[in-house]
Amino acid sequence: MYFKLSKKTYKSFTMKNYRKISTAMFVMALTLVSLNAYSFCGFYVSQQSKPIFNKTSQVILVRDGDRSVITMSSDFKGDVKDFAMVVPVPVVLQKSDIKVVNRQMFDDFDAYSAPRLVEYYDPSPCNQVREDVYEKVNASMSAAKEETENDVVKKDSKYKVTVEAKYTVGEYDILILSAKESGGLKHWLTDNGYQIPEGAEEVLQPYIQSNMKFFVVKVNIEEQKANGTEILRPLQISFNSPKFMLPIRLGMANGKGSQDLIVYTITKNGRVETTNYRTIKMPTDREIPEFVQQYFGKFYVDLYKKNLAKEGSDNVFMEYAWDISGQMPVKCDPCAGNPPMLNGLFEAGVNWITPTNWGGYMGSVFFTRLHVTYNREDFPQDLVFQETPDRSNFQCRYIINHPAQQYGQCPDWKMYYDKKKASRRKEIKELSALTGWNTERYWEYPTKFMGYAAPLPPDDETGYVTPKQRKIITSDSSDINQSTVGSIEEEISNSKINQSAFATTRTTEHKKPFDWGLGFGMVAIVTLASLARMQKKG
Amino acid sequence: MSEFYGIRARIASIPCFLKTSTMQISPQLRQKWQMVVGLLNSDARHYQLLFLSTFFLTGMLSLHWNLIPYQLLFTFGTAVCTQLILIKILKLPITALKSAFISSFSLSLLFRSDMWWVVMLAAFLTIASKGIFKVNGKHFFNPANFGICATILLTNQGWISPGQWGSAGYWWFLIGMLGFIVITSAHRMETAFAFLATYALLFGYRILVYQHWPSDFFFHQFTNGGLLLFTFFMITDPASTPSHKSARIVWAMVVGILAFYLQAYLWVTAAPIWALFFLSPLTPAIDYFFKAEKFAWKQTSANVLQTI
Repeated sequence: MYFKLSKKTYKSFTMKNYRKISTAMFVMALTLVSLNAYSFCGFYVSQQSKPIFNKTSQVILVRDGDRSVITMSSDFKGDVKDFAMVVPVPVVLQKSDIKVVNRQMFDDFDAYSAPRLVEYYDPSPCNQVREDVYEKVNASMSAAKEETENDVVKKDSKYKVTVEAKYTVGEYDILILSAKESGGLKHWLTDNGYQIPEGAEEVLQPYIQSNMKFFVVKVNIEEQKANGTEILRPLQISFNSPKFMLPIRLGMANGKGSQDLIVYTITKNGRVETTNYRTIKMPTDREIPEFVQQYFGKFYVDLYKKNLAKEGSDNVFMEYAWDISGQMPVKCDPCAGNPPMLNGLFEAGVNWITPTNWGGYMGSVFFTRLHVTYNREDFPQDLVFQETPDRSNFQCRYIINHPAQQYGQCPDWKMYYDKKKASRRKEIKELSALTGWNTERYWEYPTKFMGYAAPLPPDDETGYVTPKQRKIITSDSSDINQSTVGSIEEEISNSKINQSAFATTRTTEHKKPFDWGLGFGMVAIVTLASLARMQKKG
Repeated sequence: MSEFYGIRARIASIPCFLKTSTMQISPQLRQKWQMVVGLLNSDARHYQLLFLSTFFLTGMLSLHWNLIPYQLLFTFGTAVCTQLILIKILKLPITALKSAFISSFSLSLLFRSDMWWVVMLAAFLTIASKGIFKVNGKHFFNPANFGICATILLTNQGWISPGQWGSAGYWWFLIGMLGFIVITSAHRMETAFAFLATYALLFGYRILVYQHWPSDFFFHQFTNGGLLLFTFFMITDPASTPSHKSARIVWAMVVGILAFYLQAYLWVTAAPIWALFFLSPLTPAIDYFFKAEKFAWKQTSANVLQTI
């Protein structure tokens, strides 16, 4: 609730320890580094002999009544003439329902809703006020739409596949297919030069039986050259359907490892959650050591993975939920990035808001960010959502409390020092509880307020990370677990969250923890009741 | 060899050991235990309260259910106050408060809202429905079911989260619920199985035979704690379901069919709960045409749940 958040914020202002929120707050904006686009949870259909798999996806999902607007982007990194994608959709889309949009929207939503780090500075107990700097990252929004029209309906009776529509939109050639049987669809795709991944066949027939159509996308090289675009831009589709879902099953094509998906939902009435999987809030409002700042990306990835192991790998995690209605004065607190603006919301497909004279908007809007790392074994069903009327705000927020600087001696310094030492020990314990890092190496941290050089955090594969790492991704014809085709050198900053770190390429580790609390509760109560019942007289 | 006989002797002595050790439990502790046993066995609803409260507590603590901080207080407080008013107006015995507690737990297990007044309204409607919607002294809406559905329809500020149970805890809830059924020799299980069998068969055909989804798709659909709670605690409520056995079985099957239709074709969340809500008004008509013995809670030493 907004009231609850204000109360918490107020409490933090009046807390009787030695912290003081300075007049200006320095907030780190932590965004996903992978500025490459993100694909939708359809599957890639290579036109080469080797299949291609996507590991990370981001989707913007706008829902109003029965109307859905899904924006998806391509993270393809090879030769564009080899690119093709298949996405199941519930209806035959009209040409006006398909748009090419600007990728900037994804970066802006991500910057706005990503887990954030907040820094506070303790006031000096010797009455010396420290000046702090308030910094805000501005994100510029840009929007560009292009559309061309072209439609032909063809029935291919040999495969029992109907080409319901054919369009050229931006740099894409789009076909919408309906099929009577999966074998026919598979052969049609294969005979037309598409290599469908092995795992995709399993779900083709259920989707056909569910009356889904198939949205097949290829790059039109001439259009791409004519438009002057070098990268593939996100696609947006709109349709009316009572199904509020994302068909992730089709994206689980490789069956090994897991894929990572972030869903931004924008609705009118409140928070969105899944109905067929648990939606769990990520841990938030935790005080962590100062040195985590330079490794925040690694910290959050490890925190997420530990939470995944603790709660089970078949859950969906909520990372952000905020009421961003036009009349709300506070659309983020603190703000890691600019809240969605009028243009961005219009571009995402929000059509129930009205612009105001001062560049804002009026209307009820709620923003939710869900994070799911899915695989074939833990997610047998597509994600089915519901919009709840819950308008409580939530964010992933981690707190760093910088110690006060000691300017000379004063009587209160010793008391402050002891309390601060104790709270820094708690921060180390919190870090270990959240991430599972071995924190014995940070033994000096509680007592060394200034000039502490933290040892590097652990890394799963390569040992200890450095603040910056170079990662080389190469293709190997025998290894189908690569996420890209070709050879790319990426510089990854470990202070920022890299979404590809959530996905795995190894055989899936099924994390279904034994629920001790539930187990003990049930066994205890059944035992107690049985014993009592056995002693019933008569 | 002698070691082997030594181990066998030790195992054989375990029951004797347990008996002697329990006899050594202090008389005060034994007396307290006897009090608990006496309390539990005096009314069937005490077992129901025990199990429902355990489900709620373990769910809250293990599954981190999203409740507003004072939801329990508002729910129970409003329910108790409303029940006291009903007791006064309808001259009911004070033991009717137990039903208020049971309904409050059912509400807390299923209904979610972020507004305290909506929670209070749900609790009020839950208890009030027992007094308002009565035919021949029998209320035909399941109280918690009416409270949830009516509040959502009137205010649109509450919801049910079918996903809150998760899959890891499903088997523990199943053990708990089956344990309740066995321990209390609960009647009306034929209603539960009629509903579940119809619902499962319809979905099984649609998912496995017609749509050709793999089997884990079907099992995921049915390993849902909310469905278990509905099946074994809601639709089996003897006070608000048709009295005649055969008619009740058919009615439960119709609830299953409607729940299937609502979920598969209209994509309604928590469809069984809504199906029960829409079909509950048929109960008086069924009772009129199919005469059977009326149910009443009875505090006897005979079977825990029985009709009179």
